[in-house]
Amino acid sequence: MAGKSFLETAVTVNTRKVAEQTFISTFRSPRISALVEAGQFVMASFPGTIDPLLPRAFSVCDVEDDTLSLLYVAVGRGTRKISELMPGAELILNGPLGNGFPERESGRKIWVAVGGSGAAILPILSRSAKRVGSEVRFFYGARTMSQLVPFKEATNIAHATDDGSAGFHGNVVGLLKQELRRDTPEMLFGCGPTPMLVSMQKEFGTKIPTYLSVETPMACGMGLCQGCPIKKSDSVDYYLACKDGPVFRSTEIEFEVKP
Amino acid sequence: MKPDVKVKIGELELKNPLMTASGTCGYGDELGTYFDVSMLGAVVSKSLTLKPKIGNEPPRVAEVACGMLNSIGLANIGVSRFIDEKIPRLDELGALVVANIAAKRVEDYVSLAEILAANKSVRGLELNLSCPNVKEGGIEFGTDVKTLSSIVKLVRKVFPRTLIVKLTPNVTRIGDFAKAAETEGADGVTVANTYVGMAIDINSMMPKIHTVTGGLSGPAVKPLTMARVFQVSKSVSIPIVASGGIFTWQDVVEYMIAGAAAVEIGTALFTKPDVPSGLLNGIEAYAAGRKLEKLSDLTGSLRFERDNVPHMDRH
Repeated sequence: MAGKSFLETAVTVNTRKVAEQTFISTFRSPRISALVEAGQFVMASFPGTIDPLLPRAFSVCDVEDDTLSLLYVAVGRGTRKISELMPGAELILNGPLGNGFPERESGRKIWVAVGGSGAAILPILSRSAKRVGSEVRFFYGARTMSQLVPFKEATNIAHATDDGSAGFHGNVVGLLKQELRRDTPEMLFGCGPTPMLVSMQKEFGTKIPTYLSVETPMACGMGLCQGCPIKKSDSVDYYLACKDGPVFRSTEIEFEVKP
Repeated sequence: MKPDVKVKIGELELKNPLMTASGTCGYGDELGTYFDVSMLGAVVSKSLTLKPKIGNEPPRVAEVACGMLNSIGLANIGVSRFIDEKIPRLDELGALVVANIAAKRVEDYVSLAEILAANKSVRGLELNLSCPNVKEGGIEFGTDVKTLSSIVKLVRKVFPRTLIVKLTPNVTRIGDFAKAAETEGADGVTVANTYVGMAIDINSMMPKIHTVTGGLSGPAVKPLTMARVFQVSKSVSIPIVASGGIFTWQDVVEYMIAGAAAVEIGTALFTKPDVPSGLLNGIEAYAAGRKLEKLSDLTGSLRFERDNVPHMDRH
């Protein structure tokens, strides 16, 4: 169950371009950064404007002292506008929201697959793994090398690119399959585009305890609008991605694949 | 001196004109995380149905210019769980509860009203008539004056407290619908529900909403609803609750000048769930600056020439 959330006027510290169209922005946000856990998210909106109207959902990328950072691919109006915020500019954050990844106790072997802006969870997971002493390996996929964010703090990252320009030639699920012939983790986490999650669920969901962070259109992020249903696997009913997720055990949910 | 901001709808006295719009605040209790919901004039629940409803398939929401489309499909926990689980929580939070109800059969509206009438914490009822009427070939209840009249008449018989009818704007003459509600004994009308809208993803060539069309809300609809509030104010003398794109206190004042007694805040809650507290400060300061004794003096205070309004008499 998600804990306390706050509406906080965060202040931009800086924004760095870290890969093709990809940015990491850091904000001073003492109340939210004190509570947020890996896999939880914030809703970000701009003060004093109705354009864009709805807040944007971001998995928190990292936390340091009283700041938190967001990683995003600036392709929409909202993300482009965030990438242009100058130091000192305000952004309204609502969070921490939702449920993060399960407990990562000391000594546990966890593999984490990320793709696209799903790479956001890599630094915060890496940091918490170091803190509790769990053993984490990351598998990071992108279309091509220029889209891969170089994470200096995190070690143990294997890359996969569709065009073979860096690391494994193929997608991240292919890389995981290859590695699983040699070794097996106790838990598998996934955060990335829906096709990647669908494929992870299909390939590994019944073999390894797999937890997936889902991505879906969302208007409020806190259960007010009921706009983000995720099909339950064992009934006709829905979960809400914002309140029941965004991280689900892969056996709990069913992806509705479009024709 | 602080102006009096109280509002009366039927026998129900609201401490101020700010209400939440049905379907935008969950069951009301979720908002308690962000502000003291007892400051609101009323909390209006999600539309409740006799049995729980799982709602529509995704995608259910899409952003458009200065607005959003939704098609949630009345996903809700059902009236029984609302009474058992949510009412005690709302009582604890000190919220004044208005229950919004929806059904696909006339008799279900009556059953819902009877069930809710038996619970004294439910201070008012708001009828959502936007569902398809299964017995009349799927025509929305709220788009047919006769159907609207018959539901209001039957519900009025079983619900003794404040009864508000939420009108759809997707009709040619909304004033006729407001008049019908008033004639059958409604204490107020909400103007208005969402507008039928549509958006398409040009890459997938698919609609952005699973049900193809959805309800448009947000600042995009404010001028449309403003005109309807004005029209309705010329058709009825019962209080009007304006709902459509309220984001600032100025929006509240504008709707009141157009003819509204109270307002509902909806889409704005998604971005800033604590927005109602700021709105109250704004309208109180405006009323004090204008030296109004009662905020309700603003209602219908529009300065205009009747002759300047085209087709005024037809409405």
